[in-house]
Amino acid sequence: MKFNLLTVAVKNLKRKPFRTIILIISIALFVSILVFGTSFFISVNSSLERTANRLGADVLVVPIGARQYADEALLETKIRVFYMDKGMIDRVKQIEGVDKVSHQTYLTTIYGLCCTIPPATVVIFNQDSDFVVDVWLKKSLGRKLRKGEVIIGHEAYENFGMFDVSRSTLFGVTFNIAGVLEKTGTGFDNAIFMSDENLDAVISKGKSGLKPNDISLIFVKVKEGYDPYTVSRKIEGEIIEVDTIERSEMGKKIIGTFKDINMVFLITIVFASLLSAFLAWTIFSAIVNERLREVGIMKALGAKGSHIVIMFILEVFVLGMLGSLTGVVLGTYVSFSLSKIFSFLKDINVTLTAAERIGVGMLGLLTGTGICITGALTSIMRMKNLEPFTAIKEA
Amino acid sequence: MTHLEIKELSKVYFIEDKGIKAVDRVSLRIDKGDFISIIGHSGSGKTTLLSIIGGILRPSSGNILFNGDDVYRFDENRLSEYRADRIGYIFQFASLLPVLTVRENLLLPTIFSTNGVHNKEKVLDEYLGMVGLGDKKNAYPSQLSGGQQRRVAIARALMNDPEIILGDEPTGDLDEETEQDIMDLLKKINLERNITLILVTHDTGLAKDAARRLRMDHGKMEEIRGNGRNK
Repeated sequence: MKFNLLTVAVKNLKRKPFRTIILIISIALFVSILVFGTSFFISVNSSLERTANRLGADVLVVPIGARQYADEALLETKIRVFYMDKGMIDRVKQIEGVDKVSHQTYLTTIYGLCCTIPPATVVIFNQDSDFVVDVWLKKSLGRKLRKGEVIIGHEAYENFGMFDVSRSTLFGVTFNIAGVLEKTGTGFDNAIFMSDENLDAVISKGKSGLKPNDISLIFVKVKEGYDPYTVSRKIEGEIIEVDTIERSEMGKKIIGTFKDINMVFLITIVFASLLSAFLAWTIFSAIVNERLREVGIMKALGAKGSHIVIMFILEVFVLGMLGSLTGVVLGTYVSFSLSKIFSFLKDINVTLTAAERIGVGMLGLLTGTGICITGALTSIMRMKNLEPFTAIKEA
Repeated sequence: MTHLEIKELSKVYFIEDKGIKAVDRVSLRIDKGDFISIIGHSGSGKTTLLSIIGGILRPSSGNILFNGDDVYRFDENRLSEYRADRIGYIFQFASLLPVLTVRENLLLPTIFSTNGVHNKEKVLDEYLGMVGLGDKKNAYPSQLSGGQQRRVAIARALMNDPEIILGDEPTGDLDEETEQDIMDLLKKINLERNITLILVTHDTGLAKDAARRLRMDHGKMEEIRGNGRNK
């Protein structure tokens, strides 16, 4: 069995298990707050960014005054309906710099009144011009939707739970469920999709409240070399009935809302880190004083200052790693659990990618261990140049 | 060639601005393989002198020359190497680390050695057998008697194959029988391995075993019995 300074460090930690556990818990709590806070911050920001990018459009054209509704519908998975006249599509196409356009119409289901499923947004889109849903549709279904068919978003399908959705009535028309979309991390995860070939049937039943020329929004791709901001301003300038949202502007309101929450997290993290560092300093001051004689003996046996520092650093490192690992697990668990409990987190897709999770975990490990080492360092360094005889006598 | 030379060595402690000379201009030449005992009352400066020789306490003035090198002109790292590789120190108190087993306590100084002790486990078994504790390898210090702990400390002092063993009251607090056992063991080490042995004791009976006997009183040293190796 190999014997080295790590063995000594680990054995020292076992000496007073209660004290060791207190420090581990303290670091674990700090790291869990850090991991949860960072996960929250990253998930909100990257979810919004991801959604904006996945929409594939440079500019969104919405009815005047409906910017916020569009944001909420697309990013927060809230059920929102807003309409403008279909004639806007041709007017937008005429604007200089506009390359492609695609439009969508949103309806909301009301269980029992029009539909046999719980409340969800129904997205009606044109399969010929669409460049937003088409990519996901091909991936999940491998073909275009047929008349009388719908495909359901991942979250919506999970929300339906006990409802039999294999054959559902929407706005008085019976549809077959062609499939379920893979998770996209956008507001569309909570929607039901149908092609506009079904529009006549839906409108004729009169249960949707939709008029034949109603559309909700227009997605715009700008031509290469054109600035989305300039094109956006041109659309707003020439079509008074619409507002525009550029891709980079999407989710600004939501980010603003979360700013204060992030600030609370930041302050909590700062205080928790100071507390952990202080605790590490206090505990290691006590540990160092308790072991003064042992340090003196080790030095008398030939230990260099660096041996003593390494031994203590290994102790702090093991402690910090154990605390940080516990904190990463706890923080990740909390971020998963809370995203299911709080409605404001449910409204956006707070899913981190594997890389983001690993990144947050690494941040937690490094920060937790670093804080622990920083806190203990002054006490440890005091031991480095202590004369063996003095250490033995002072103990 | 003189193995260890102590030249005009003094150590002054300051207590409330008042200087107390614990070691007062001590000079001594020690050859390799010498067995020296230093006797004296409590507070006579024996432990202080031994600590300075062992490189664990800086003198106020004077020099310790080991094989011609002034030990206290070494930087901190080289001084540590001197302690690790050249000196085997047996303390007057229980000095085993309580969280480590007998085996681990013995292996501890080998971590600090720059010589690189080969076949550590074999050497360890040999020394443990020599001190009669071959069956206590995995015991913790708290499971050993005072005498057994001293024996382990002696075995530990040998682990890095030192040139000098410094024993500070190595048999203090032990019963007569154990005391004699340990003295026999130290003499055996001195004779068989040609290791210089310097023992500090207040027991004149034990000191008689040494070929050279020195007395310390108020920091000053006098030689009671002349040079020569132990017979």
